[in-house]
Amino acid sequence: MPITTSELVNNLSSSRRDFLKACTIAAAALGLSEAMIPRLVEAAANPQRPPVVWLHFQECTGCTESLVRGSHPDIARLILDIISLDYHETLMAAAGHQAEQQLQATLEKYPGKYLCVVEGGIPTKDNGIYCKIGGRTAMEILAEVAAKSAAVIAIGNCATYGGIQAADPNPTGAVGVWDLVHDVPVVNVAGCPPNPISFLGTVLHYLTFKRLPPTDKLGRPLFAYGRKIHDQCERRAHFDEGRYAEQFGDAGHLAGYCLYKVGCKGPATFSNCPAVRFNDVGVWPVGVGHGCIGCTEPGFWDTMTPFYERLPGIEIPGGRGIVTSADSAGKKILGIAGAAVGIHAVVGIGKRILKGKSDEDK
Amino acid sequence: MNYEKKYVWSVLFRLFHWAFVLSIVVLAVTGFYINDPWPNPWLAGSRGFPMADMRYYHFLAGYVFTAALLVRLFLYLFGNRHERILHALPVTPGKVKNIFTTMAYYGYVTDRHGEDLGHNTIAGIVYLFTYVAAAAQVVGGFYLLYPESAGWQAWGLKFFGTQQQARHMHHLLLWYFLFFALVHLYLVVWNDVKAPEGMISSIFNGYKFKPKHNGSAEG
Repeated sequence: MPITTSELVNNLSSSRRDFLKACTIAAAALGLSEAMIPRLVEAAANPQRPPVVWLHFQECTGCTESLVRGSHPDIARLILDIISLDYHETLMAAAGHQAEQQLQATLEKYPGKYLCVVEGGIPTKDNGIYCKIGGRTAMEILAEVAAKSAAVIAIGNCATYGGIQAADPNPTGAVGVWDLVHDVPVVNVAGCPPNPISFLGTVLHYLTFKRLPPTDKLGRPLFAYGRKIHDQCERRAHFDEGRYAEQFGDAGHLAGYCLYKVGCKGPATFSNCPAVRFNDVGVWPVGVGHGCIGCTEPGFWDTMTPFYERLPGIEIPGGRGIVTSADSAGKKILGIAGAAVGIHAVVGIGKRILKGKSDEDK
Repeated sequence: MNYEKKYVWSVLFRLFHWAFVLSIVVLAVTGFYINDPWPNPWLAGSRGFPMADMRYYHFLAGYVFTAALLVRLFLYLFGNRHERILHALPVTPGKVKNIFTTMAYYGYVTDRHGEDLGHNTIAGIVYLFTYVAAAAQVVGGFYLLYPESAGWQAWGLKFFGTQQQARHMHHLLLWYFLFFALVHLYLVVWNDVKAPEGMISSIFNGYKFKPKHNGSAEG
């Protein structure tokens, strides 16, 4: 006798109540109506749901850690319940050859059916030798596993855009998944780490509607990355009213003023952090007094540092490597131009004094 | 020396010029505030909205700047002969030679200068570059203003990258316009002092004065 959805839901390791609660949270994050929740529950509890192969490349496992954190067991259990993980190096019991056999078994048993989740950047320099698992490079593994999958979910800034590995000078030539995988749909759940709800919403969207959620031009699902942090921020009124923390710990900071002047990257960053928040206790960086560091954006480490200044400290080529920001470059260029103008004027006046007035003026 | 009065800048060109000037002044001041707001005396609960106001005027001036740029583009194609795009670009041997005579003139090597009624060739090249920079500011500005619009996102990502990169370029180019304004102001005053051809007043009334010759008027 086939098991019903309700039986399955009742037999989950998380309680039925928690399961429904988490599905509701995900539905809210996806912007779905209440009426869709039963479909989400059904899809999540469907015994035919696709297995998941989770690949780890150049990463810190922070994305996995944040997903399975003990502070929000509902979400963590739900994720582990609704996705049937066939291969995940951190969580699986198998190791070594057993683990690799498991991976091969899934690829053979469910070609074109399983979901591939990628965590970590993929080094491409020198044929990708800087990241090897079981004797194969990350590039080889990704090429094989992604090609046979139904869809790829890149999780975290490393898997989406290369992350810290791709920071200048990018010694291993790290890139994100979508730079290498073109034949299979790829969705970028960006962030360092991304909110578990954004990942959960993406998975549930796929399970329920059999396709990946709509994305922006950077491949990020619109339900989670469609709006700028700055425009949803609880400190926005202070921004508009010109009230800023001038430095950490000053009166403005204590009064909860806007963190723009201490380097908040909210105005340049797309994410649902102000709305969905973290760790089930309603906190997020800006809420607790630290500016956004822009971790959901491509080129995060190069363009968002220094974290406590508003503009990136990019070296401007052509100089002697000393020019580190637009303002100092601008002031120097303007200074040189001013000096040139001054010298030009002095030469003209000097010449006139020496030679007397020219014909035209007589 | 006798001078004759010649009509050079059309009304639309002069309107473009002043709209461009005023919008750049407003954009630069508000732009610096937006980048690094100076501390203000308004306290919480008072009705000051300096950042909102500055952004409002920045966007307003941005639209004026965009309109001015479009007018200039129109004049490049359909303006009078001094205003058209090829007038001051090195497309003929004479225009190429003008680069060197202008350099010699500006370098105090000679007092003779090309009798270009419109722009000299160096100015023409610099202005063209300035309009390209202005177009970059417009595209970057709208990308920053409407980050969630798919259209601007496509353009912005293509030319600048992320919001943060676009903002960086937007800010760098602001310094170009300050540099341009400094050199431009200096050179028009310098030209006006050097030769009584009415260079400054021409942008108000449209007329320049050129030495009277028998026949050889330059175009």
